[in-house]
Amino acid sequence: MQSVSAPRLFQKEVKIESNRKGRCSEVSLFIQSVINGLNQGAIYALIALGYTMVYGIIRMINLAHGDFIMVGAYTLFYTVPLMIHYGMPAWLAVIAAVAVCVVVGVTVEVVAYRPVRGAGSMTALITALAMSLFLENLAMVLFGSNPKSVTAIFTLPSVDFLGAKLQCKYLLTIAIGLIMMLGLQLFVKKTRLGKAMRAVPQDKQASTLMGINVNRIITITFAIGSGLAAVAALMYCSTYPRCTTDMGSMMGLKAFIAAVLGGIGSIPGAMLGGIIVGLVEIFVKVYIAPGWYEAITYSLLIIVLLVKPSGILGKNVGEKV
Amino acid sequence: MKKKFLSILLCAAMTVVMFTGCGKASDGGDGTPAAKEGTSAPVAASGEEDHVIRIGAVCAMTGGSAIYGEGAQNAIDLAVEEINAGDSEYKVEIVNGGKVVDDAKDSKQAVNAYNSLISESPEAIVGSFFSSVTLPMAELANEQNMLLLATGATNYQVTLIGPTIFRDCFIDPYQGKMAALFAKEQGASKIAIIYAKDDDYSNGLKDAFVENADSNGLEIVYTGECTTTDTDFTAQASQAVAAGADFLFYPCFLDTVPLLVQQARDAGFEGITMGGDGWDGSDTAGLETYFDNCYFTNHYSSEDTSEAVQNFVNKYTEKYGSESLNACAALYYDAIYMLVQAAEDGGGSDTESLVKGMTGMTFTGVGGTFTLDENGDPEKSVAINTYENGQVKWFKTLSPEGK
Repeated sequence: MQSVSAPRLFQKEVKIESNRKGRCSEVSLFIQSVINGLNQGAIYALIALGYTMVYGIIRMINLAHGDFIMVGAYTLFYTVPLMIHYGMPAWLAVIAAVAVCVVVGVTVEVVAYRPVRGAGSMTALITALAMSLFLENLAMVLFGSNPKSVTAIFTLPSVDFLGAKLQCKYLLTIAIGLIMMLGLQLFVKKTRLGKAMRAVPQDKQASTLMGINVNRIITITFAIGSGLAAVAALMYCSTYPRCTTDMGSMMGLKAFIAAVLGGIGSIPGAMLGGIIVGLVEIFVKVYIAPGWYEAITYSLLIIVLLVKPSGILGKNVGEKV
Repeated sequence: MKKKFLSILLCAAMTVVMFTGCGKASDGGDGTPAAKEGTSAPVAASGEEDHVIRIGAVCAMTGGSAIYGEGAQNAIDLAVEEINAGDSEYKVEIVNGGKVVDDAKDSKQAVNAYNSLISESPEAIVGSFFSSVTLPMAELANEQNMLLLATGATNYQVTLIGPTIFRDCFIDPYQGKMAALFAKEQGASKIAIIYAKDDDYSNGLKDAFVENADSNGLEIVYTGECTTTDTDFTAQASQAVAAGADFLFYPCFLDTVPLLVQQARDAGFEGITMGGDGWDGSDTAGLETYFDNCYFTNHYSSEDTSEAVQNFVNKYTEKYGSESLNACAALYYDAIYMLVQAAEDGGGSDTESLVKGMTGMTFTGVGGTFTLDENGDPEKSVAINTYENGQVKWFKTLSPEGK
């Protein structure tokens, strides 16, 4: 129980104090919002990388990509307690999640996408949509429709920075996002496999003549994209420890927007797009109107596409992933 | 006092009507201008007073909410057994062979269930537990002047449908008022509210809280919106912290509660976080420490130390175990006792007398002592629950007067 009368005696002092505190908290709110936005943006960016990889290689929008994250999140839900039980660090569960996601991603590619590859982009898009619905409903049958809470993966402290309370796990998410992007960029630019990946979209037949196994390259692309989805699931679950069977569709859509915004097919573009979408969402919620954040995010996409149809870092022709 | 006087007056008037002529119900002037009905209901077919209240009961017996139905059936059996073995003037008979009829938490099924009960000419119907299924039943009951005593239906519209519709649970927005009372009691002064703007329940609780904030000396420093599908509350949480709030009210449903609680604590919020009965059943796994200092209001708690509750809990668990012992069971148990009291107050076991008895009734039972207001809604105590190591624990029971 607090005494009510005490503050009233010192009303004046309290007012001054709260004014000073008010200005201080303005700054800390801003810093906190930046971190929150970057955290959310990093998650979007990791997912957007998956969209961009697949689009860059086979010019196909893999709408089921968001659902790979759902698969990753459910894998974490089941493996994190196991890891803890056997005395291992919880984040090692991400290895299992990556493995499961890669298997699911490659299976989807081989079973559903490869047979229709010659049939045009509309067929591929519809197949991806069907795959997305299939995965969601399969998950509902397997795991039930109740949301599941994922056990805390990181137990990291928070740091005080200019009055803002910064969670180390948020900073970790941002760092992992950056590392993933850099790693992927180096992989695509510097390795033989990466070179092959860049060759395939330019000319499939010429690539085959150069001794590139096109199917193999596409499968590897899917494997990498799905693996990234599992990492994204880890980062998502550390901030929002809940998995539902439909979590992938909304996350996937936002990340897809991020990928298009940044320039689909471009790796730094996916990262930039993700960060922008994350920051815009948080800042609209804090400073403009919380109820409008989705409307504003989507109109941002439309505006950018009107001004620069290929996205911020997208090039109209030429280099793809 | 006024209500009590009114109810006594009504009882007296009814008794007079009873004795002056059983067969003359159609002559209109029954001398009760204060009665809520416009037209006089036909006196129950039984005609002569048999001192047996025939009650039909409806609840969700199958599907995902079957556990509620199980509790309801057990609680009704228990209440009927006690009443019929006791020395009460009125005895109770549950139609449909003593079985609760299934509404499967579906509004079409509920109408079927209601009609099947009506064919057995009950004098009152108890149920149902969910607002969505109770609303169509209430429409029918109003047309047919049947007494409907809803149990868990907390939507405020239910009892507005007609004068023969009552309930023994509080209405949704009432929890907002009680939360404000609780905030004051805990010494909070700066309130942050985050509510789902696309949800009636959330809006209702928020509005009631805001209405009662001033009178409880609470200052609302931040009001944030979200939607029922949001997963990110970091923006709202950090604003609540920046506004210096020491009490966070989040009247939303269980699926997003763990997310909010975690993100609010991560943003540095250390005060009380509170919600309504929508929090019941929230998954706290892995967030045990985050849920410390979190509270929510509920209809009743089996850990309540009051005598009426403990008496009910002991008898129930002895007979049926504790698995199906939930708020639903307690509400059906009280409902049967309310009807018996209504018959005593109303002076008869026919529907009309029961309605007279119910109107403005003051009742004491498992749900505490409460009086039905002019709509037929009780202003009753709420159980305040908290968490201990992630487990729901009864904290206290708060009466409308704030005791």
